[in-house]
Parts: sequence; structure tokens; C-alpha cells
Amino acid sequence: MPAPVTYLGIRHHGPGSARQVLAALEALQPAQVLIEGPADLTELMEPLGRPGIVPPVALLAYAAKAPEYASFWPFAEFSPEYQAIKWAFAHGAVPSFIDLPAATNLAEAELNAKVADALKDQDGDVLEEIDDTAVTLPEPATDAIARDPIGALAQAAGYEDGESWWSDVIEENPDPGEVFAAIATAMEALREGHIPDRREAQREAHMRRAIAKAARHTEGPIAVVCGAWHVPALRAKVKASDDTALLKGLPKTKVQATWAPWTSARLARATGYGAGIEAPLWYAHLWQHGVGQKADALWVARMAEVLRDEGFDASTASLIETVRLTRSLAAVRERPSPGFEEMRDAAISILMHGETLPWQIIETRLLLGRDVGQIPDNLPLAPLLDDLQRQQRKLQLKPEALERELSLDLRSERGLARSTLLHRLTALDVPWGQLTDPGRSRGTFREKWLLAWQPEFAVRLVEHLVYGPTIAAAAGGRMAEAIRRETKLSTLAETVRGALVAQLPDVAQTGTERLDALAAETDDCATLLAAIPPIVDTLRYGTAREMALDQMETLLDRLIIQSAVALPYAARNLDADAATALRDLIDATDQAIALSERAEPIRDAWIAALTDTGRSDKTTPLVGGLTMRLAYEVGTIAVEDLASLMSLRLSQSRPAIEAAGFFEGFFTGAGLKLVHDTDLRVAVDGWVMSLDEEAFTENLPLFRRVFSTLDRNERKVLLEHLLGRAGGNLTATFAPEAEALWAAQQATINRLFEGT
Amino acid sequence: MSDILRQPAEVTWKTELDALAAHDDAPKPEGWALSPQATLTYLLGGAAKDGTEITPKYVGQRRLMETAVATLATDRALLLLGVPGTAKSWVSEHLAAAIAGDSTLVVQCTAGTDENQVRYGWNYAQLLAHGPSTEALVPTPLYRAMDGGKLCRLEELTRMGSDVQDTLITVLSEKMMPIPELNSAVYANRGFNIIATANNRDKGVNELSSALKRRFNVVVLPLPDDIDEEVQIVTKRVSDMAESLQLAVPKNAAAEVMRVVTIFRELRDGRTLDGKTALKAPSGTLSTAEAIAVMVGGLSQAAYFTNGTLDVDGLAPNILGAVVKDPVQDKTVLAEYLETVVKKRRDYADYYSVLSEML
Repeated sequence: MPAPVTYLGIRHHGPGSARQVLAALEALQPAQVLIEGPADLTELMEPLGRPGIVPPVALLAYAAKAPEYASFWPFAEFSPEYQAIKWAFAHGAVPSFIDLPAATNLAEAELNAKVADALKDQDGDVLEEIDDTAVTLPEPATDAIARDPIGALAQAAGYEDGESWWSDVIEENPDPGEVFAAIATAMEALREGHIPDRREAQREAHMRRAIAKAARHTEGPIAVVCGAWHVPALRAKVKASDDTALLKGLPKTKVQATWAPWTSARLARATGYGAGIEAPLWYAHLWQHGVGQKADALWVARMAEVLRDEGFDASTASLIETVRLTRSLAAVRERPSPGFEEMRDAAISILMHGETLPWQIIETRLLLGRDVGQIPDNLPLAPLLDDLQRQQRKLQLKPEALERELSLDLRSERGLARSTLLHRLTALDVPWGQLTDPGRSRGTFREKWLLAWQPEFAVRLVEHLVYGPTIAAAAGGRMAEAIRRETKLSTLAETVRGALVAQLPDVAQTGTERLDALAAETDDCATLLAAIPPIVDTLRYGTAREMALDQMETLLDRLIIQSAVALPYAARNLDADAATALRDLIDATDQAIALSERAEPIRDAWIAALTDTGRSDKTTPLVGGLTMRLAYEVGTIAVEDLASLMSLRLSQSRPAIEAAGFFEGFFTGAGLKLVHDTDLRVAVDGWVMSLDEEAFTENLPLFRRVFSTLDRNERKVLLEHLLGRAGGNLTATFAPEAEALWAAQQATINRLFEGT
Repeated sequence: MSDILRQPAEVTWKTELDALAAHDDAPKPEGWALSPQATLTYLLGGAAKDGTEITPKYVGQRRLMETAVATLATDRALLLLGVPGTAKSWVSEHLAAAIAGDSTLVVQCTAGTDENQVRYGWNYAQLLAHGPSTEALVPTPLYRAMDGGKLCRLEELTRMGSDVQDTLITVLSEKMMPIPELNSAVYANRGFNIIATANNRDKGVNELSSALKRRFNVVVLPLPDDIDEEVQIVTKRVSDMAESLQLAVPKNAAAEVMRVVTIFRELRDGRTLDGKTALKAPSGTLSTAEAIAVMVGGLSQAAYFTNGTLDVDGLAPNILGAVVKDPVQDKTVLAEYLETVVKKRRDYADYYSVLSEML
């Protein structure tokens, strides 16, 4: 006679379910508790029986050979599964997992990825090797209803929050013992006509088989804690041979598993975990305080506390009104008691004066929180290190404490893979390699690294496990977080570049979107300009690697247009420091734009901006000089124009400091122009000659700065020109007494140097 | 047909209100003509129990209306906030019509509104002849609402001077209004409450004192958050208005509504509809009401000047007027939008050329 089996259909992470499960277990006192979870990880439940684990934690399993295939099973304090396991250990019952083994899940994930790759490559060979039963592309495990049927029922009833519906509808049930029977009935109705896909059928077959086996071998009652959705299928009478047939020949892979600390925010759906919950802290509140007037008041007080912390007012009188409005709202919505939505709506109306902005500000803190779980030290914590060792072997890179140089050719597959690994580690704050030559100015396909391994790197990798189970995933997660936080355009552009060189296109995509949003909010020309060179670098660098950069191109065009629009105004009324900074930015940006080979209209817009800025009388002289020269170089300011513009800017009526600023702007870094451009030389000569002695002396240091950029030979050629010897129409002559004067000068200089 | 240009809501929608009241068996707060649930049905549309169809009066988020009705069911006053053109007064009128059966107790607050228009005034002939007495007292809508247990509507509350606003504090917290001249007071009967509306975008209005603000539950009416919803509102209102103004609606009107609403939404939200490009937002509100005005202006132009052809040339001046409220800043915003977004859309080529030319 097999042992009696009781099915406790739960809502994953539902605090209401957890409470009911505990009550049911107390009443039932089962000898064995079977739980929906990977059967091959039953052993890992053991630490839950001892103190040391603080939820939220996740059971983590990954393929030993390919850690990128990993699965997490997160547990919160209020997860019914977690509570059931704890109960079992505390009451001497035997807990075990009964779902498909993780080994099968991961093997299938690997297989599916291979199939997807094969299909992508249109390569028949791989397809043939794979058993055709497995040739199915990864499908979403189950649809939304199957994943959270109670949430779906709640939504159908007009609830946003499944837990409110649970407490209103399920727990209103006068006889609590009947709760699970009621759920099972509801699920039967919901599943009517539902044909489980292959995977769901296998999971349910596996669970059925495990339950049957347990029933045969156990004395005393058995409790099954599983998702409500599965209850009808698990209770159904199915021939054992059918189940066995369904489970035949499932792939397996070697699996490593451990516990990993989890965060409350990661329990939320918003951060990408499929079966997550929207408001973990609200659920924690429900778990700790239940429902009722006192619990409502506590939650309202909590909202007020967070609001006050963020600098909003929340008076006690308003709290009272908020609680009153939640009741009134519940009555209008014909619900027995206020739930999450009523709390939120009332708080917005009263505490936040109808504004949703404060709600958005406090939402993350209020609902997601920053709780981090803990696991005992003696558990293994290794997937990232594991992944690193594997890649080190594959790429033949040994961790050595002594510094070693490594030169990589990005055109070769191995060079690229090695570079990617090093870039990703850098993103994880593990600077095993230091890039000695960023490879920007030179060829874009070569990188030089200085390698040195330090023991603390291993510790850092372990810490970064929260970002992902593999180096790629963790680097991506960490960068994505940095991108979300970053508010400076140029830094963000650098980060995006980092993501691209680390071969993390998804992260780069997110970053590009953020850049786009940030650029739209930015009016400041300097900020916009600063972002352009790193993006150009990225685009040029990207050509040495395989990646799609369309969006980046669009963004670059847009940044150029935006800064072109802003430039003429940004160049006005600047003080000395700001002018120097802007000049350097314009110079760098102009070079970058020239290198980036933009389409005609974009380049034209930039040139037009340079020309306008250069021509405008209002432009700060230093910037005006540079922009005029750049416009002159591309030919939008003609020679004749230049001469008159220059004499205008440099004319004597201007304060000497302005003229000098202009001169500096025009010639810094472009002294060579003077050597080769006759018209320019005439214009400059005219100005220099027009200076009176005092102004000339004042400007001498400036001349020196400009002309010192020429080398000896160039200076000589320039002199020849000035003396009319190399052609041209200048006929300067040496002052007749120059030689004599020079000796006196020399003496003065010597005296100055000697300090006498 | 009556000669009155526009009847109050309780008259225009009498059939619907009567149908709802006839079968309304849900519990009602004291002094209410309809139950909260029936009030919601009246506002959001549906059907009465006898099958009478109830047209929706407010298209938008249900939970905002629920909060509004729930607020009035407590003794807290309701403040409807929003940018111009978000149906604040419309909702307030219909709430009063459904709950109190009377939407005519209105105080239109302006900078010139004084205490006498809010509390009570005096009949000076009576006052001089007989001295202060109840007969000499001239009740205001607020006074009458308190006395009769009705809803009083205060339109554009923040336009009234702060000192006058604050006379409401006693009324809201103690539900009575003292009349010191007579050494008496008027006490609010059950069913009394206040619905105020205010515009949260205007500059230079009298911000509510925090003492007063604290006595209101606030519901902010947003601009429609979904393009289909907004297109639906604009199309419906435009055809209603065109009918009453006796303007023909050309066939391409629907397509133009779509394009105008798209432009309005993109600029207002500061991002393109596909969410891929962020934009700067102009200083104006670009409310749904303005989109309606743009379309009606275009229709009028089409009817009287261009032989019934509705095209960009007729719409563009109105669009420009709606977007460019600040001649310097908004022009840059619009220029940037045209260059970065509209230029690339082939089906907007006419908008691009006409609008850039006009800029």
C-alpha cells in the first residue's frame, strides 16, 4: 500500500502560499517533502538545515565544461519551497527535489545553442550529428500563464498584484484547509484543453515518477510542494511505462552546483529573471506582517519613511488619511481589503500630492531594496574562476606573477580571443593585463599588453559572481550597471568603447541607447564634443573586430549635428581656461571627424559650424583663430577673405591680448602653414609689422611659442621666404646693425642666466 | 431642441443617470445620488443593469477615477491637477452630476475672486435697512453646497489669491463656516464635499499653501499615455466639433490626425514612438486639446479656403503655433526634431519641407 500523497500547489515566491504550506505541513506531519526543483541537486539542500544561509540565495548549477550554460533557482525568505525545506529539516522529514535534473536542463541548453548556431550558419554537418528528437530551438520554458497561473488569474480579475488577489480570493476561503483543494480545482479548469509541450511533459513525467517512487518506499504521508500549475498533471493517472518512455534518452552533462548569494533586487522581474516577482520587499512585508489593519499601517509608514529619506514631506496626519483612502479605494473596487495597488494609489494621491515622480524615485528602494543574501564560507564559490582557468588553458595564457609582455594581432582568431579575455577581465576590475599601447594612434589591429597576475584577483572574481556565472556574463553585467549609473557623456562613450572591445555587443547596445538619451538632454557643446573622439575611435577600432555598429554611426552623426548647431554660440564669451579647453576639444574633434569619413551632409554641417564660428566677430579670439584656420584649410574661407578677416581680427584697434589670442589659436600646431602658404604669410607679416614696439614686445612670448613648433630646417625655409630669397613678394631685410646688436643681446641674456 | 447652447451634464446625460440610479443597489454613502460603483460606470462607460448604454466620459486610466471617487466617498476634498487640456473640469462636472445630481454649484476662481464670493456676501439694501440678519446674507455656491449637502466645484483654484484660498481651510477640516457677523455658522450637511481643479503647468499662479494642500487628495490627470487612445480622442472630438461647426471632414482627416498626434506625442515625450531616439521637449504642453485645435483649424481652412482639401499647408501654421511657444528655444527644438527625425521618414516628407520652410 503506497503512502498517501498530498499535493500543495503553490505560487512561486508567494508569501501567502508559504504561510499556507507551513500550516498544511504542520497539519499533515509528512515523512517526506517532495519539492519542485532539480532532482540531482537534492544534496545541496543540506546547508539549509543549518544556520549560516541568509536568503535571498540561489541554487546555481552550471555545465562543468561550459559554464556559460548556467541555471539559477533563487529562494527568498518567503519562498514556499524554502520554507518547506526548512520545515522538513526542523521536523525530521526528508526533503528532496523531484524536477528534471539540472544535468538534463543544461545539456539541452547546450544542444539547443549548438542547433541554433548550426541553423545560423546554414551548415548541414552539425545538424546531422544531433539526435533529431532534440532538434528544437529553445522555447520560452512555458507561457506566462503556466509560469504564474495565479498571477494570470489575478490579472483576469483586474488585479495588478497576484498576492493581493491571493489574499482576497484564496485566503478569504472560510476553511483554510481547503485552500489547496480550491487551487487544484482552479488549475484543472485553467489547464483544460492545454497540451503541454515536450519539455513540460517531460518535467511532469519526471515528477510523477519521483512521487510514485517515494510513495512506494516511504512509510507515512508525503507532501508535494510544486507550482500550482502542475498539480492536475501530477495527480493524473498516467501509466508508468509512458512516463519512462517520455524520459528515455535525455541528454546529460556534467554539472557543478553550489549556492550563490542573491540580491532582493534580482528577485524582481525587472532585472531579467524570468519567474521573478515585481516587488520582493512588498512580499517580504506580507510574509512578516501578513494582511490586516496593522500590517497596512506598517507598510504606509514604510512608504513615508522612504519618502522622508528622499527629502519629501510626509506628515503623520497624511499617513492617517492614506490608510483611510486605501480602505475607501478597496470598497470602491469591491475588494475585501486594501492590497498593493490601493496602497500605491492612496500614497500617490495623498503623500505625493498626485505626482508619480516621487513614486518613481522611491520605487526601487521601496520595492526592490538592497538586501544581499549570505552563504557560509565553506561552500564552493567558483564558477568564474573555473571559467577563467578553462579559458586560460584554451588560449594558452598562464597566470604568472612576473611581468610579461604580450603582443596581439587582432586579425588572428587567437589574438582576438586573448585580447577579448583581457579586456573582459579589466572590465571586472581584474587588471591582469595592462594595455601599454592603446593602439589608437597606430594600426588598429595590434595590441600590446603587460601581464602580471596577482593573487587578490581571484578574490575579486569571486566577488563579481553576482554579475553572472561566466567571465563574459559577469563583465557584461558589471559594465551594464556602470552604464546605467553614468551621467557623463564622454565617460559613457569610453565605457561603450570598452564594451565593444570586450566583445559584449549587447552591453554596447544598451550603452549606445543610453548615450543617445543622454545626448538628447545635453545642450553643452563641450560635453558633446568630448564624446565624439571616443566614438570615432570605437568605430575605427570596430572595423578590426566583427561587430555591428550601425546605431553607433547614427549616434555619431547626431552628435556631430548637435555640436555643430551649438558650436557658434558655445564659442562666445569664454574666459581663458574655458577657451583653451574648447580649442583643444575642437581640434581633437575635428581630427576625429576627418578620420571618421562621415557622409557629405554631416561633414558639411560640421564645416559650416566651423566657418560660422571662425567668421563670427563674437567668437572668443582663441577659438576664433582655430576655427578660422580649420575653415581656411577646408576652403570654406577663401584666401582673399582670409586676408581681410585676419587683418580685421589683428587690427591695431583691437586690444593686443585679443589679437594675440587669435594669433595663438590660429597658429598653434600649424606653424608649417606659414612656411608653405604665401598668402597667409603676407597677411601675418602685415600684422606683425603694424605692431608698435610695446605691443610687439608683449607678443614676443607668443611668437616664440608658435614658431618653436617648427624645426630648425623649417625655420630656415621660413626665413628665406621672408627675405624674399625663395620667391614670393616679401623683401624683408636684416637691420644693418643687427650683428652688433646681437652681441649686446647675448651679453644681456648671459647675465640674466648667471643671475648677476 | 432647447435654445440653450450647452446644458449641464446632469441634463444632457439624464437618461444615463436615471438608468443607472434605477438599478443601483450597491451601498451609497449618505447624500449620494449614485453608488461609487455606478458613478464609475457613468464616468468610464459600460452598461446600466437595464441595458442602457453608458457612454464613456473619461478615456484614460481607470485607477485615477477610482481614486477620485474613493476620495469623495471619504470626507476628504478632491483636487484634480493637470496641464491644460486634460479634461479636469470635464471630470469635475461629471463627478458632481453623478454624485450630487447637480453640477452647477461652481465658483470660477480668478485673481479678482474675493472672500465674499467664496463664503457669503451681503445684500446691502437689506443690511442698511435691517442690520445683519440671515435675510441680508447672500449665499455663495459653497455656502449652498454645505447647506444642501451637495458637491461644490472650485475651478482653477490656484488662480485665486492665497489669502482667499485659505478661507477654505476651516471648511475642509471642520466642515463648517463661521458667520461672525451673526454669531452663527453654517454646518455642512452629509453629502457635502469640494472638487477643485488646478493647472500645474502655469507660471505665476498662487501656489496652494501646504496647510491647504494637505487637506486635499490629489489626482493628477495625465496626457493620454497611448497613441491609439489619443488618436481616438482626437478623432472623436474633431468630428464632434466639425459637426457642430458644420465643417466637412475630408477623407484623409484620419491619416492627418495620426501624423499630427505622432508629432505632438514625440515632442511632448521627448522621444520617438519607437523609443530609439531621444528628443528635446519644447516649452509648451502640446496637450491633446491643442492637437484637436490644430485639426479643427486645418478643417476650417480646408472648408473655407482650399475647396475641402486638407493638407500640410493648412495644418503647418497651427502646428508651428502649438510647438513654438518660446521663439528662440522652441525653434531650435523643432529644427532639431525635423532634421534628426522627420527628414528620415518618407511619409512625412511634406511635413518636413513645409515646416522647415516656415521655420
